[in-house]
Amino acid sequence: MAANRARVVFTAGFSRRYTGGVREFEVEAKNLRGVIKAMDQLYPGLGQHLEEETTVAIDGALHETAYFQPLRPGSEVFFIPKLEGG
Amino acid sequence: MNDIAAKGFKWVGTRPIRPDGVPKVTGRAMYGADFATAGTLYGKVIRSPHAHARIRSIDTLKAEALPGVKAVVTAKDIPDQKFEYQGPERVQQNFWHMTRNVMAREKALYEGHAVAAVAAISKSVADEAASLIEIDYEVLPHVIDVDEAMKPDAPLLFEDQITRGIEPAPTKPSNIAKRVEFKIGDLDAGFAEADVVVEKEFKTAAVHQAYIEPHACVARFDHDGQAEIWASSQGHFVIRALTAKLLNMPVGNIRVTPAEIGGGFGGKTVVYLEPVATLLAKKSGQPVKIVMSRDEVFKASGPTSGSSMRVKIGVRKDGTLTVAEGEFKFQAGAFPGSPVMNACLCAFAPYNIPNQQTVGYDVVCNRPKSAAYRAPGSPISAFAVESVLDILAKKIGMDPLQLRLKNAARPGTPMIFGPKLAHGGYVETVEALVNHPAYKTPLGPNQGRGVASGYWFNGGGESSASVQVNEDGTVIVATGSPDIGGSRASMALMAAETLGIDYNQIRSIVADTSSVGYTHVTGGSRVTFATGMAIVEASKKIVDELRARAAMIWDVDVEGVVWEDGQAKPASSNVGDFAPLPFKELAAKKALTGGPITAAASVNAGGMAPGFSTQFCDVEVDPETGKVTILRFVAAQDVGCAIHPSYVEGQIQGGVAQGIGWALNEEYIYDTKGRLDNPGFLDYRVPVASDMPMIEPILVEVPNPAHPYGAKGVGEVNIVPPMAAIANAIDSAIHRRLTELPMSPPRIRAALDHTGADD
Repeated sequence: MAANRARVVFTAGFSRRYTGGVREFEVEAKNLRGVIKAMDQLYPGLGQHLEEETTVAIDGALHETAYFQPLRPGSEVFFIPKLEGG
Repeated sequence: MNDIAAKGFKWVGTRPIRPDGVPKVTGRAMYGADFATAGTLYGKVIRSPHAHARIRSIDTLKAEALPGVKAVVTAKDIPDQKFEYQGPERVQQNFWHMTRNVMAREKALYEGHAVAAVAAISKSVADEAASLIEIDYEVLPHVIDVDEAMKPDAPLLFEDQITRGIEPAPTKPSNIAKRVEFKIGDLDAGFAEADVVVEKEFKTAAVHQAYIEPHACVARFDHDGQAEIWASSQGHFVIRALTAKLLNMPVGNIRVTPAEIGGGFGGKTVVYLEPVATLLAKKSGQPVKIVMSRDEVFKASGPTSGSSMRVKIGVRKDGTLTVAEGEFKFQAGAFPGSPVMNACLCAFAPYNIPNQQTVGYDVVCNRPKSAAYRAPGSPISAFAVESVLDILAKKIGMDPLQLRLKNAARPGTPMIFGPKLAHGGYVETVEALVNHPAYKTPLGPNQGRGVASGYWFNGGGESSASVQVNEDGTVIVATGSPDIGGSRASMALMAAETLGIDYNQIRSIVADTSSVGYTHVTGGSRVTFATGMAIVEASKKIVDELRARAAMIWDVDVEGVVWEDGQAKPASSNVGDFAPLPFKELAAKKALTGGPITAAASVNAGGMAPGFSTQFCDVEVDPETGKVTILRFVAAQDVGCAIHPSYVEGQIQGGVAQGIGWALNEEYIYDTKGRLDNPGFLDYRVPVASDMPMIEPILVEVPNPAHPYGAKGVGEVNIVPPMAAIANAIDSAIHRRLTELPMSPPRIRAALDHTGADD
């Protein structure tokens, strides 16, 4: 599967903590593993935070953050705080 | 709304008799307190009588010397944990806090805080031993209310706690554990566009989940280091993980068997007793059972947060919402971790409002540590937001449902946490009420109608399931999800649909931690969605296996075999002229065709769709006594696809019933020393049957395309709207805006006596 260009967005709080306030990125990736890997290359250590602390919305649909989630060309990937209910 | 034929399903969407019904109504179901093994000791937890006290010393010698006492433990027996926030932000765990909640160390932080525990041969010996434990307390000033706890001169629970989420970090410690903020758009521009702006402050009381079954467990610890726990919980894998972490044991050394559960509603996703019972079992060499009393449940297990809130919303005269702002301060209890972030994320989620900001504060105070409660956080912020929307609708002369419809979030609507909403369903819930005949029914004197909506994320994540085909064609489906809302039935229905066999051939069970793969808690409205996907995956594997075995019998390629209506058939006449092989016949030939027919599947389910609910209620207020009678309650909810509609209706009715209690009566009442005055169901008043109207559930079905049968979580969003719906109805009835929960008779009377302007 060829890599797609995806738009990656963090919440303001997350970006303040880990990316110096930068909230939006464009990366080449065919799935979420590729996104996490690309972000970890930009900010070493960030990958672990993404894996452990976030849920992800891919084109609006919520998923657990997991490597296998595929991306379409132009996918919008929002990392948001992980959620849990009662 | 529930047209099975239109969906093309044979079993999904039907209402078979619940598989857990007979043992429950005959009293034979095994709940947490019902497990017994030979030589089991009686465990008792000794709890702090003080709201806030330094523990100078604990002397257990006299208790240990008492005949019949087999073990005594204090925090000294439990390994301490590193101070470190771990895991996802919303559900971060700090095991330094958790071990102190299980057993107090330096300080007791609330009345009922566990300080020591004993295991003895009988209740009377354990009680006597408890009285012999000498604890030297230095009583400290305490703080209960969230606004009081945030003041600079408030007594500090943790003298070194610096608020997280503020930059630069504060230099002084406080009870504010954390600040969170979310924002989209431009608030100033939004307020400038508005014709009418309403700002109000609200308070809500801490309320308990009020599950009927108290926490209970039995633990055994063998000399080889293997432990076994029987416990009532919403997630036995989490019980295993937390107990292992807190006792520094390998996860694989603990096996947890789930008991039948008598209600949890979020409150049984954490540990209180299990590590203590396991440690007592280790020290004594005998199994230990601990069962909380109702008093202990109220004082020592987590309610949801009480709150103090401010919400400000602007609207144009045509009903367009231009801006919304909310500030939410939540009681976390004695340790950080209230659901305030959820409150911030869900507050305005049903609406398309271009300019929004929410700020939340997680505040510790001398109460039991808060625990999850049905859509944690969302009902609290919804009370404030939906009340303000009602005020705005009345001010601009617009029907409250039409205001919601005009501003409804739809697929593509930006959410405050960043992404655009991907799923529909909200509009349909509003339309269901607009079209409901009772919505326009005239009301009498002192009667009023109120409307409110709610949003909840719903969950996905890790689940496992296995399917075993028995030799007579019956089937066992096993999952790791404790059944708190009918999941055994819904799992069997999805398996029956996928396998093409009769529902009644399937026995659905909840397996222990050593018998099925990891499965996350039954919480977050995730089980029917996520564990259901695991069941469907495992059932598909069984179908593939049965096709392969039919191909072996017919001596054809597997591609030449299809599965239809529970039997293997040739894919075409070219394959051969074979009579169909039914499920039962293939099951009987299992040995000849390769041995037992089993399959397992595990998923990390994604693509969960959120839940929306819109509700209206009619109330009558007795102006003399202040009593509010609910005359009618109609609750529309987007449920995706109702796998077992009766259970889904029950979830909606249950959520509304709990919301009615939260709205009208339930609250923690503390005395001046910080001691709980009402730790029992006589004084902590949950609704009873005679308080309830018939709650009419409306199942709106907008399927979730990510689930094989369209399921969405259904267990939580129904508790989000009731408090505001009732407040709005009371306002319509008596023209008084109640801004504090519960809206109990004294508060209604006080509002009626107040002669100031409403709203």
